[in-house]
Amino acid sequence: MSLAATPSRTNAPRLDGVAIAAGLATLICAAPAIAVLALALTQNAHAEFGAALIANGAIGTMTLVLAGGAGAVVFGAVAAWLVTLCNFPGRSIFEWALAIPLAAPSYILAYAYASMTWAGGSPIPVNGVWGAAFIYAVGLYPYVYLAARAAFASQSACALEAARMLGASPLRVFWRVALPLARPGIAAGAALACMEIAADYGAAQHFGLTTLSTAVFRAWYAHGEPGVALQISGVLLVAAMLFLFIERSARGRASYAGGSSRWRPLPRYTLNVAASMLAVGFCVALILFGALLPLLWLARLAVLHADVQDIARPFMNSIVFSTIGTIVTLALAAAIAVAARRASSWGKTPLFAAGMGYAAPGAVIALGALSLFGLAREAGWVSGLGAGLSLAALFWTYAARFSAAGVGPIDAGLARLSKGLDASARTLGAGSWRRFAAIDLPIAAPSLAAAALILFVEILKELPATLILRPFNFDTLAIKAYSYASDERLLDAAAPSLLVFLAGLAPIIILARNIERGRAGAHS
Amino acid sequence: MSSVQLTNVRRSYGKTLVLNDVSFTAPEGQVVALLGASGSGKSTILRLIAGLEPVDAGEIRIGGERVSGAGVAVATEARRVGMVFQDYSLFPHLTVGANVAFGLDKLGRAERDEMALKWLDRVGLKHRAGSYPHELSGGEQQRVALARALAPKPRAILLDEPFSGLDAGLRAELRDTTLATLAEARTTTLFVTHDAEDALQAADRLVILKAGRVLQEAAPREAYDHPASLDAAAALGPINVFKGAVNNGVLDTPFGTVQASHLANGSTAVAAVRAEALTLTPGAGAQVTAVRPHGAHDLVRIEAQGLAWRALTPARAPLGDTVSVQIQPTGAFAFSA
Repeated sequence: MSLAATPSRTNAPRLDGVAIAAGLATLICAAPAIAVLALALTQNAHAEFGAALIANGAIGTMTLVLAGGAGAVVFGAVAAWLVTLCNFPGRSIFEWALAIPLAAPSYILAYAYASMTWAGGSPIPVNGVWGAAFIYAVGLYPYVYLAARAAFASQSACALEAARMLGASPLRVFWRVALPLARPGIAAGAALACMEIAADYGAAQHFGLTTLSTAVFRAWYAHGEPGVALQISGVLLVAAMLFLFIERSARGRASYAGGSSRWRPLPRYTLNVAASMLAVGFCVALILFGALLPLLWLARLAVLHADVQDIARPFMNSIVFSTIGTIVTLALAAAIAVAARRASSWGKTPLFAAGMGYAAPGAVIALGALSLFGLAREAGWVSGLGAGLSLAALFWTYAARFSAAGVGPIDAGLARLSKGLDASARTLGAGSWRRFAAIDLPIAAPSLAAAALILFVEILKELPATLILRPFNFDTLAIKAYSYASDERLLDAAAPSLLVFLAGLAPIIILARNIERGRAGAHS
Repeated sequence: MSSVQLTNVRRSYGKTLVLNDVSFTAPEGQVVALLGASGSGKSTILRLIAGLEPVDAGEIRIGGERVSGAGVAVATEARRVGMVFQDYSLFPHLTVGANVAFGLDKLGRAERDEMALKWLDRVGLKHRAGSYPHELSGGEQQRVALARALAPKPRAILLDEPFSGLDAGLRAELRDTTLATLAEARTTTLFVTHDAEDALQAADRLVILKAGRVLQEAAPREAYDHPASLDAAAALGPINVFKGAVNNGVLDTPFGTVQASHLANGSTAVAAVRAEALTLTPGAGAQVTAVRPHGAHDLVRIEAQGLAWRALTPARAPLGDTVSVQIQPTGAFAFSA
C-alpha cells in the first residue's frame, strides 16, 4: 500500500519524495533508449548505404545469434539436466562451477583464443564466424544453464516419478517430461544469451565480422554517417527489446510450470561409470573452454609479458570509472526497486524501463545519451561537448545500461520484506522517508552490497560505450585490451584482459554462493 | 485511550463487497472481539481503522475525531493506533529493544530506551532486549509485538488473530498475559479472531460478523444466551438445527421442545440448540450412533426419527445404546425461518 494511493488530510503528502525520486530515476534510465528509437525514425540519412549496411549487419548478427545461440542452448540445457536430475561424481561442485564462464566478456575470450590460435596453443583454430560462434557458445551457455537449472529444479518430483513408474527410460523422461516442462526457462536463458550476442562488439570486431553492432561503429567512425549509425542502433534496439520480451514472457510462463507446490527432493538418476565419465567430461570441457583455458593462457602471457607501468594508469582509471558509475547507477537502481515494490499502481513500468537499457548494446545507449546532449546543445541548454559533458554522457550510459542489473538483486532483497513491516512502521508513526531509511534500506543492505559489486564489475568490463564516450587518452583496462588487440599486439593485450577476467570472477563467487545456499534442503 | 466508532462503513475490492454497512462502537478502555469466519471482513475492519486502506462510504471516529470518511483520510502514521499483525511483523534487522523503541522516536534516547525496557518488562521479556526477533519463540515474538504497539501509548490497539498459530497450552497462557497487559495499559482494544473460545474469554464485548455484515454486537454472556440470529448462535459454538412449524408457542423437535412463544402459531421456524444444552441420560428416545472424545467432554452423535444431532456430555458418562434427551432452555433458541 503506497502513501500516494491514500488520500490524506494531514501529514501524508500526495506525492511523496520516494515516488518522485523513483519517477526521475526511471526517466533517466529510459531516456537514451527512447531517444535512439525516436531519432532512428526521423533520420534523413544516406539511404542506400544505410540499407546495405543494415542488411549485411543483420545477416551477420542473425548468423551469430543462430550458431552461437544454438550452441549455448545445447550446452546449457544438457549441463542443467545433468546436475539437477542425475547423480555423478563432482555434481555438487559442477552445480556452481558451470557458472564460471560468465566471468569473461566475449571480447576477452576472443583475444585469449586468438592469441592461442596464433601461437598454435589452441586445441582448435578459433577465428572467423565459427570462431566467434564457438566463443559465444562456451562463454554464454551459463545464461541458459542457470535458467534451465532453476526450471528443472522447480519441476514437480511427482511428474518425474510418475513418468518413471510408467516405465519411461531416463532419456524418454528427459524428452517427454523434463524438457517440455523446462522449455520456458530454457527459452528465457536463450533469449538472454542471444541478447548478449547481438550486443557484442569486441569479439565480432576482432574477428572482422560485420554485425549490427560493428556496423554502428563503421557507419559512424569509418564513414562519418551518424544518421546511419542511429538507424542501425534503432534496429538493434528493436531486436534487443524483442529478446527482452521473449525472456520476460518465457520467464512468466516458467513460474507456472512448477506444478506441485509441495517440495520434495528430485528423484535423481545415478549414472553408471561410463555415463558418469561422459557427464564429468562434458562439464569439465565446458568450464575448461569457457573459462579455465583462456584464463590460464592469459595468465601465462601476462606473467611473461606484463608491463606494470603500462597497465597501472588504465587500472586506476577503471577503478575510478567503475566506482563513480556504480554509485550513480546504484542510487537510481535503489530508487527504481523501492518504487516498484511500494507503488502498486505503477505496475512494473520502472522495471521494464530499466530492462530496456540493459537489453540494448552499450554503443546504442551511448549514441542515445550523446544525441540527447547534442539536442540540448542545439537548444542552447549546454555549450560545447567537452570532456565534462562526455563524461556525464558516459556515466549516464552506464546508469541506463546497467541499472536493471542492480534493480534485480535489490528487488530480490526487498522481496524478503513482508508487507506487514511497512504497515507496522506506519502504525508506529513512521513517514515515507523514515520507512525507507530505517526499514527498506537496512533490510536490503546485503542485496545492495551484492548489487554494487555486480555493477562495479559490469562497468569495468564495459567496452563499446566507454570506447565512444571516454575522454581523449583516458584508457580503462577494457579499452587497453581492445586497442592492443586491434593492433594485433595480443601479447600486450594479455595483462589488461586478465585483470578484467579476474574482476569478473567476483560476482560469480556471489552467484555460486547463492546457488549453494539456494540448494534445496540447505536450510529449513 | 479513546473509543473507536464505525458508522455505516462500506468497503469493496473491485466488485466484491467486503464490508456492508458496518456499524459498532468499541467503548473507551474495553476489549472488543471481532468474531467471524475467514472472509467475514474482520481483518479488513482493522486495516480500515488503522488507515492502511480507505473506506468507500461511512465514517470512522477515534476518540470522537473523524479519521476516515467522505473527504477525510488521516494517514496511518498520524492516527496513533497501534497494531499487532498476525505474523507479528517484527523488524528482523533490529533488536527486540530497538523494535519496541521504534515508535518512540519523539523521545530523547535515554528516555526512549527506558520506556522500551519498561514495556518489555511488562510482557516479561526485559532480559531479551538485546536479542533479535528470530532468536525468540512464537509466543515471545507476539509479546514483543504487543509491547511495541503499546509503547507509543496509542489511542487504541488492534490485534489481528493474536493467538492463532500458537499451540494450545501456550495459547491460553498468552491470552491471559495479553489480557493482563492490556488491562494494565487500559487501552481500547479491538482484536480479530475466528475462535469463539478466545472471543468469549478475552472480550468485554463481541461483534459477530458474517460476509461483511454485523450479525450482533453484545457482551459475551448476552451474545451466548440471547443470540440475535441462527448465524449469531452458530458463531459461538456447535449448534443443532431443526426446521418446523410453531405449535402452541413451542417448536417440537424429535429430541424435545424448544420455546417459541415470541413467534406466531403455525409459522415456520428454525430451532437452534447448542450441543452443550442437550442432557443425555440412559433411557429411551434417541439412539447413540457415535461417541468421540472431546477433551473434558464426549461429543455424542444421537439419532431420532432420521435426524442426527450432536451433544456434548461429560466424558465417559455411561450412556448405553439408547438415551433419553433433555433440552436445556438456556441453550435453545427459535428464530423465524
